[in-house]
Amino acid sequence: MTGAPSIEAEVRALIAEVTRRDASAIGSDEDLVERLGVDSLQGLQILAGVEKRFTVTLPDEDLIRLRTIGRIARVVERLHKGGKS
Amino acid sequence: MRIGLIAMSGVRVRNAELAALGVTLPQFVSRGKIVASLPSLGLLTVAALTPDDCDVVYREIAEVRGDDPLEPFDLVGISSFTAQIDEAYLLADRYRAAGVPVVLGGLHVSMMPDEAAAHADSIVLYGAEGAWPKLIGDFRAGRLQRRYEGLRSRVFEPPNYVVPRFDLLAGRPYNRVTVQTSRGCPLDCEFCAASLRITSSYQQKPVDKVIEEIRAALAFRSSPFFELADDNTFVNRKWGKAFLRAVKPLGIRWFTETDISIADDEELLDLLADSGCRQVLIGFESPDAEGLDGIDPRNWKKEQSGRYLEAIDRIQSRGVTVNGCFIVGLDNHTPAVFEMVRDFVRTSGLLEVQVTVQTPFPNTPLYHRLRREGRLLEERYWDRCTLFDVTYRPKKMSVEELEGGLRYLFAELYNEREFLRRKRQYMEIVKATHWATTQAWAATVRSHAT
Repeated sequence: MTGAPSIEAEVRALIAEVTRRDASAIGSDEDLVERLGVDSLQGLQILAGVEKRFTVTLPDEDLIRLRTIGRIARVVERLHKGGKS
Repeated sequence: MRIGLIAMSGVRVRNAELAALGVTLPQFVSRGKIVASLPSLGLLTVAALTPDDCDVVYREIAEVRGDDPLEPFDLVGISSFTAQIDEAYLLADRYRAAGVPVVLGGLHVSMMPDEAAAHADSIVLYGAEGAWPKLIGDFRAGRLQRRYEGLRSRVFEPPNYVVPRFDLLAGRPYNRVTVQTSRGCPLDCEFCAASLRITSSYQQKPVDKVIEEIRAALAFRSSPFFELADDNTFVNRKWGKAFLRAVKPLGIRWFTETDISIADDEELLDLLADSGCRQVLIGFESPDAEGLDGIDPRNWKKEQSGRYLEAIDRIQSRGVTVNGCFIVGLDNHTPAVFEMVRDFVRTSGLLEVQVTVQTPFPNTPLYHRLRREGRLLEERYWDRCTLFDVTYRPKKMSVEELEGGLRYLFAELYNEREFLRRKRQYMEIVKATHWATTQAWAATVRSHAT
């Protein structure tokens, strides 16, 4: 899990920026839609931020699947290692 | 006195093939469900115009349909759009047969008053403001009139204006709430059957009243998405900027309809993005100038068509998405229009798109012209005014070509692959704009870390 906490922290900051809500108390595996009411548009803005910040391209299927901070961080880690999400 | 206010809601398509296609198309169904799940702002306003000592009950048609015994009321008010008007008439006839007086209102009734009057004890034309309080007074005094005319101007001025009864939505499953900031539209498109037809001129609600309404709605719904029930919100830029500044602190997410001229005003666009606006719906109608010729008296939309793409980019670059609306079957449309619409949508980066067929709603300028030209397929076709059913003979293609073209566009634009492509395109816009620089990102992280 090396590096995952920092990725998570940055994803959390990004979510807070897009939703304008405090994301610090959200658990890694809590559903962002249920917990923060993230709508589909905000979801795309968050994922665009993830791609920009971590210089990755998320697979298309993940555009509707990535709904937790932990999962986003794990996919970014995997992509950095050259693996599949 | 117990008054039942019944809203006719829902979107249906008569064409069986389109209906079958529609239920498999994610984006179409998604928007259809949204429209179908909006409460009737008109009836919530009627409820607010009703004296406090009356018991007002709000119902959706789905709650009263069928052969169940009729819910007992002393007076029933029904509001309906054109496509569901025959169901509204049937329900009105049932209540009247049971001895319950019925009042009919809504856009269709305003356009076809004599037809509606045959199914009602009384009808209300235009808005309820200026009409409903008098109607209730007359009803109580036993002298209900056959017809009342609401105001067509000064609608949002005291004493005519009231805050809609959003409390009637408590405990109901709506996740969207409608608030109206304006009535009418200066563009006056030939086909338009919206609030333009019930106003004498563009009516704008003062900003403080709009904010008061949003606050009233927030008291009864937790974090709703707001849809402004407007046809063209930002006609008055000064009002628009004041509204955007006032709505920002409420922290709501919202949607409205406007025209592409907002793209010319950088300050307005920045305020729009900052205010929580998630999407604007814009009627592009046709991707080419020729197709737009003559649809509004000043040919304003035709003049704008060359800068559609640039305008979409400017709006979406703020993170506010554009829901682009196209109408197929305009008089200058040949069968080539279907591929043109598809290609425009693909080039444009529009996140969402709505394609409908031109519809001559009763008593509109379009209706009268097509009737004069002998091009209406039937004398009375109100149940086919769904925006997806062809009701007239197009000028430069056959009815079958228009129906086939609509099916083609549905299949081309509303599928998972296109859906993902549009999402990806939108993300690229966001990356190039909102998340453009690493400095901006670093500042973001710092601000949330402190």
